[in-house]
Amino acid sequence: MMKIKSMIGLSMTGLVAVALLASCGAKKKESTSTTKLPDPTYKVDKSKPAWQSDKSKDNTLTWYINAEWWNKKYGTDLITKQVKKDLNLDIKFIVGDDTKLNTYFASGDIPDIVTVLDPNTEVARTANKWALPLQDLANKYDPYFYDVAREDTLNWYKLSDGKTYGYPNYSNTEADFKSGKVPAKDAFVIRQDVLDAIGPQDFKTPQGFISGMKVIKDKFPDLVPFGFNDFSGGTSSLGDIVQDMLGVPVTNTDNTYYDRNLDEDYITWLKAFRQVHEAGNISDDSFSDNNDAFKEKMTSGKYATMMVAANVNQGNSLQTWLSANPNKEYIAIDGIQSTKGKTPTLSQAGLSGWMINYISQKTKNPAKAIQVFEYLLSDYGQILTNFGNEGDTFNYIDGNKEAISWTDTASKIQSDDLTKWQNDYRIGEFIQFGHDRFKAYNKASYVKAVWQQQEWGQKYLTPQFKMENISPDPGTQEARALSAITTKWQTTLVSLIRAKDTAEFDKTLATFKQFQKDNKIKEINVTRDKNIKQNMKKLEEK
Amino acid sequence: MLLMAIFTLLIVVPLWNVLISSFASSQALNEGGFIFWPSELSLDHYRSVFQDKSLWSAFLISVAKTGIGVFAHVVFCAIVAYALSKRDLKGRKLYASMGIVTMFFTGGMIPTYLLIKSLGLLNSFWVYILPAMFSYYDVVILMNFFRDVPSTLEESARIDGASDWGIFFKIIVPLSKPALATIALFHGVWQWNDFMTTKLYVQNEALYPLQMKLYELILKSQAAAQTGLSAQVSIQTSSKGMQLATIVVTMVPILVLYPFLQKYFVTGTMLGAVKE
Repeated sequence: MMKIKSMIGLSMTGLVAVALLASCGAKKKESTSTTKLPDPTYKVDKSKPAWQSDKSKDNTLTWYINAEWWNKKYGTDLITKQVKKDLNLDIKFIVGDDTKLNTYFASGDIPDIVTVLDPNTEVARTANKWALPLQDLANKYDPYFYDVAREDTLNWYKLSDGKTYGYPNYSNTEADFKSGKVPAKDAFVIRQDVLDAIGPQDFKTPQGFISGMKVIKDKFPDLVPFGFNDFSGGTSSLGDIVQDMLGVPVTNTDNTYYDRNLDEDYITWLKAFRQVHEAGNISDDSFSDNNDAFKEKMTSGKYATMMVAANVNQGNSLQTWLSANPNKEYIAIDGIQSTKGKTPTLSQAGLSGWMINYISQKTKNPAKAIQVFEYLLSDYGQILTNFGNEGDTFNYIDGNKEAISWTDTASKIQSDDLTKWQNDYRIGEFIQFGHDRFKAYNKASYVKAVWQQQEWGQKYLTPQFKMENISPDPGTQEARALSAITTKWQTTLVSLIRAKDTAEFDKTLATFKQFQKDNKIKEINVTRDKNIKQNMKKLEEK
Repeated sequence: MLLMAIFTLLIVVPLWNVLISSFASSQALNEGGFIFWPSELSLDHYRSVFQDKSLWSAFLISVAKTGIGVFAHVVFCAIVAYALSKRDLKGRKLYASMGIVTMFFTGGMIPTYLLIKSLGLLNSFWVYILPAMFSYYDVVILMNFFRDVPSTLEESARIDGASDWGIFFKIIVPLSKPALATIALFHGVWQWNDFMTTKLYVQNEALYPLQMKLYELILKSQAAAQTGLSAQVSIQTSSKGMQLATIVVTMVPILVLYPFLQKYFVTGTMLGAVKE
C-alpha cells in the first residue's frame, strides 16, 4: 500500500513539474505591425535632425548590450553628458551575455534598444519578429536618418521583407576601403634592432623564411625567432590571416566556395612553418599561451618576428615595448608572401560590421530611439564620440574639418592617466555606431607603435563582402557539422606545424580531409554557395 | 611524507603567487613570468581598490546577503527537516518525493527567470535570500541528524509541558549545532561566492555584491582590448594588479571565518552521514 502511495506521490509531482515547464514554454503572440506607432510630438523635417526639433522632456530608454565588458555608466563622462543634454535623454545601459539575452527574449521584457555582436545569431536573423524596421521609424519620426545612414549598409541588412532592422558599427563599404581611411590590421613584423643586426634576409619565400629564422636564433639566442597571436579558440594569425597575406582567393572564379585551408600555396607555407618549428625556432608555448601571455611576451619584446593579427588590439603592448625601447620597435616588412606571385589581400571589417543595433517593438518611445541612431551616426555624433568637444579635447588642424589633433591637455591625460581618459572622457569607447572613416581624422586615434604597420598594409586591403555570414543557419545539422570541422581544423593546424616530419604532416592533413568528408562538407558548401550568391545579389542591387 | 609535501606545495604555490603578485608594482608585473618575490613591492593596487567607494557598499551587500541568507536558510531548512523527520507527519512521503524530484530536475534558467520576475524579485535584495532559503539536499542532511536525537528527550519535555516550537528551539536546535554549522558553512560559502544570481536578476548596481564587482573588474580588462583603446601606457596600476588585489580582498573574510566553523564542519559531516 505504501509503495502504491509513494508511486502516486512521485508521479503527481512529476506531472506538476511537467505542467509547470510546459506552461512556461508557451509562446506569447508578438505583434509585427508598425501601424500602431504613436504620432510624433514635433514637426518632422527632412532636412533637419529630429532631435533638434523634439523638445520633449524626461525621456528614458533602456539599452541592452550583449557584451559584459561594456562600460554601463551614463551621464558621468564628457561624451555621455553631451548625449544626455542634446537628446534630453536618460539611457539605462544593461549588459549581459547570450544567457541573459535569451532570458529577456523568453520573458518578453525586451529593452528599447538591443545591441548584439553576431549577425549570425537567431536573434539577428529573426529581427523582424521583435524589432521595428528602421525605414518605417525614419519615415515617421526622423527622415534625416537617411542622410547619415549608409545605403550600402542598410541594403546589406535587409531581411526578406525588404526592410532593415539592424544597423551595425564599423560597417566598411567599398568606398571606405578605397578611401584609404580604413586602417590595415595585420602584418608580418620584426624588431628593428634584429632586422639591423641580421643583414638582408628574404622572409618572402618559404626557404628564405626558414633560413632567416635560423640566422635570428644564432644572433639572438634569448629571443623566440617567430611568434604569432594566441590560439585560444581559433587559428591564431596562422589561419585566414596568413591566407590573406598570400592572397589566397576567397571564392572560385565562378563565385563558389573555395576551401582556403587546403590551398596549395598555403600548405607550402605551413610546411615551412613546420620546418621552423622542427629547428626549434617556434616556441611550443606559443600554441598554449592565452591572449594575456602573448601580450606579456610582446610587451617584453620576447619575439624577434611575429605574424600579428589585429594590431590595434595589441596596441598597448606594442606601445609599452616601444616607449621603453626606442629603436627596437616592431616594424612591418614584406614577409610570408605567395609562392605564385599573388599580392596580399588583407581583410578588415566588412559591410556586416561588428556590433548591430536594433530598436525593439516593445519600446514606448520609438521616436527617441531612432533619434539616438541618427544622432550617433551623424558627423556631429561621430566627432563627439571619437574626439570629444572642440577646444576642450581636440582642435581642427588649419580649419580642415577632416583633420583633428588632440589639445595639449587631452594629449597629456591620454598619455599619463589612462583611468581618467577612460572614466572622465570615454573618448573612442562609445562605439555602437563607430566608424573607421571618422577615427582616421586623427592619426593619434591609434597608438604610434602601429602607424607604420597600418601604412604598410593599406595598399593591400581588399573587401571580402561576398564571404560575410555565409555559414549555415544556427541550429541546423550543417551548422553543427561545420562547428565540428572548424574545431578539428584548429587542432589540425597546430598538429601540422608540430609534425615531426613531412610524412606525419601529410598524414594529419589527409585525416582532416577525410574528417571534412565525413561531416557533410558537401552539404555545407551547397549552403555556402547559395549564401554567396545572395550576397552577390545584394552587392549588385545598390 | 614527500608526496604530501609536493601536494601541499601544489596548493600553496599558486596562492602565494596571487598574494605576492597583488603586492607587486605594475612594472614588476609587466616583466611577466612566475613571481615568487617581485622585483619591486607596491601598495598601489590596494590603494586603488580601496579608493573605489562602490567596493565598500558591495562589501556590505555581500555581508548582508551572506548573514541574512545563512540565517534564513538554516532556520527554514531546519524547521522543514524537523517536521519531515517525524514518521507520523501526514503526507510525509509526498513531501519527500517532491523534494527528491527537485534534486534531479530543476526548472531551467528561463522558467526560473520568469518565476522570479512574476514574484517581483527582479532588482530586489530579496532575490538573494528567498529563492535560496530551501535546499532539499541540506534538508536530507538535517533530517538524518534529527532522527538520531533520542525521542525520549522530546517525550520528557512534552510531559513537562513544552510545545512543538519549544521542543524544537530549546532542545533540538541546541543539540544540533554541528549539523547546523555545517549547513551554515556550505550555504555561507555559496552565498559569498555567488554572482550568477546578480548577473541574471539584478541590474541595480547598488545591490551588487563583492563577487559581482570582482567579475566586472576582470571583464573590464577585456574592454580595452575589444575597443582598441588608444593610449600611451604609463599608468601606475595595471589591470592585472587590480584584479589580484581585489581577489585577495574578497578572499580574506571567508578565510578568516573558516577556522572557527571548521571544527563543527568536520563533526557535522560525520554525524550527518553516519547513522547508527
